Amino acid sequence: MTFRTAARPTTPEADIRAWTDQSALRSGRVMLTPDLIALAQCGATILLAARTAEGRPISAAAAACRALSPTRLRIIMSRGAGKPVIDALQAGSRVAVTFTGSNQHHRAFQVKAERAVITPARPEDMPEIERQGLLFCEGLAEIGFTKELAAGWLFADTEDMIAVEVEPERIFTQTPGPGAGAELRP
Amino acid sequence: MTALSLESLRSAMEGVYASIMATLDEEGMPNVSMISQVHYVDPQHVALSYQFFNKTRANLMATRMAAVQIADPETFAQYRLDLDYIETRTEGPIFETMKAKLAGIASHHGMDGVFRLLGADIFSVRSIEPVAGHAIPPRPVPRPLLAATRATCAAMDACTDLDDLLDAAVVTLHDRFDISNTMVLMVGDGARRLFTVASHGYPRSGIGSEVAFGEGIIGVAAREGVPIRICHMTSDYGYGASISETARAAGLVAGPGRQIPFPGLTEPGSQIALPLMSGTDCIGVLFAETPEPMRFDFEMEDALATCAAHLALRIALLQRDEPEADDPEDTAPPPVSGGGALRFHPLDQSVFLDNDYLIKGVAGAILWRLARQHAETGRTDFTTRELRLDGSLRLPAHAENLDARLILLRKRLEERNACLRIDKTGRGRFRLNVLCGLTLVEITD
Repeated sequence: MTFRTAARPTTPEADIRAWTDQSALRSGRVMLTPDLIALAQCGATILLAARTAEGRPISAAAAACRALSPTRLRIIMSRGAGKPVIDALQAGSRVAVTFTGSNQHHRAFQVKAERAVITPARPEDMPEIERQGLLFCEGLAEIGFTKELAAGWLFADTEDMIAVEVEPERIFTQTPGPGAGAELRP
Repeated sequence: MTALSLESLRSAMEGVYASIMATLDEEGMPNVSMISQVHYVDPQHVALSYQFFNKTRANLMATRMAAVQIADPETFAQYRLDLDYIETRTEGPIFETMKAKLAGIASHHGMDGVFRLLGADIFSVRSIEPVAGHAIPPRPVPRPLLAATRATCAAMDACTDLDDLLDAAVVTLHDRFDISNTMVLMVGDGARRLFTVASHGYPRSGIGSEVAFGEGIIGVAAREGVPIRICHMTSDYGYGASISETARAAGLVAGPGRQIPFPGLTEPGSQIALPLMSGTDCIGVLFAETPEPMRFDFEMEDALATCAAHLALRIALLQRDEPEADDPEDTAPPPVSGGGALRFHPLDQSVFLDNDYLIKGVAGAILWRLARQHAETGRTDFTTRELRLDGSLRLPAHAENLDARLILLRKRLEERNACLRIDKTGRGRFRLNVLCGLTLVEITD
């Protein structure tokens, strides 16, 4: 099977068109399209949110994402920096994850799920942290950030990593502009 | 550990890094996105930029809770703020400050027209938590701002007249704060316009150029009475177009040639406009800009706002202390050589020397009045008091800015190398030096 390479859309409408173009690949299930999988693994800014036991929203940033399949994402993040979110997810919170492509003109999407599974980080996660970190820094450099600023944001202690696995149940375009937030339906 | 204060986190709210915002819907489903601005309001409140009708917005209206994560661009330290929504403001100082800042951010990211501020969402801060991780110690400040502020205020204190004070203000900001381009504008004629009375660092001084209230960050700072700061170049806050439209609409401009171009940088990286306040009235604006982005942070704004407050006080003090001199005796005119025509257009009180535009408005009327009196009586020495008392000049009821108008007039004549000059001869006194034969022509348009 060959995929048509999706143009890099920069508007929510273009995201929806790209999604529709690739609809033949799906069978009524919520599956990430190849261009979204690429965006998630290409040095995107990865943000998670959950609901704390006290009923308050809470967020954290992650270091990398691995798409284990079009239906399962493995997000690797700092255990220390992400503790309030990890605690909330372990207590059964629903989860939201947003991916923003730093080198794709703010193109972004968000996935949501009823639950997430927390697992220890594995050795094969580590090269992805490094690879995606470099891409992230390159993306920021393109919009004028110094290497120091990009690396400062990204700094991750590889000894302190944990993984959050999510099976997306709903997907939304989050590229800024009219139509932002529209659901990309199966 | 001491509890974190919001004030100590202001550098993490500069918008260098985008911030993270999380909300919940009524069913507890989270939503997370990046947000352009977390704006420091006061030690208990922040404002977030509301740019789109989206899920974040719907959640906020439904549950009135948010969490934001901010990062300090220098130390890389990150913080989580737990927030309760209070209200949305669509006008006023906080809104205008955020709007100006957003224009800079949008332009920096190539998102002009997409990033538009619909409102400033005000939140109370329930708690502040540091995010575990690495942070580096802050670097020493290369130029201690407090020392620069003190030196600038001292330089202003040493000035005994308004002319020197305005020049000292722009020069000292350059010397002490290393700001390449500075200017002072004063409010004129009660018409909600500002005119440039001092500038430093520009190829052309732009003395006499005008900015309308609401125009550019200078005009917005004057209208709102708050400092406006932009850290990146943006085309949203230009000067020139609206003032021309305003003037044309008011019938003030018959055609081209009666505008003095605004001297500002064509590609400013950082700009700050600080209102000069007298009570609740804005009497002028102190403006600074540099080609480099991110030059003015919160700390710099504090320092420059202190200098601006001091400048406003010194202006008020000098104007109040100015003793009124007695009317001087008429003196014989000095010998003159050559000749020129001074033309006066009563409609907009503009004055041309031969074909060169000199000045308009009250300053134009003053010049015409002095030249006429000089031609009729040979008089050269005048006082500010007689100008204040002269009804034909159409001065506003409280003409506190008469001195500023004389400074403007003096500098314009000096810049044009005109054959007539105005020289200060004492407190409240000045001399019109006419160095050529002048023919006075009043044009009835």
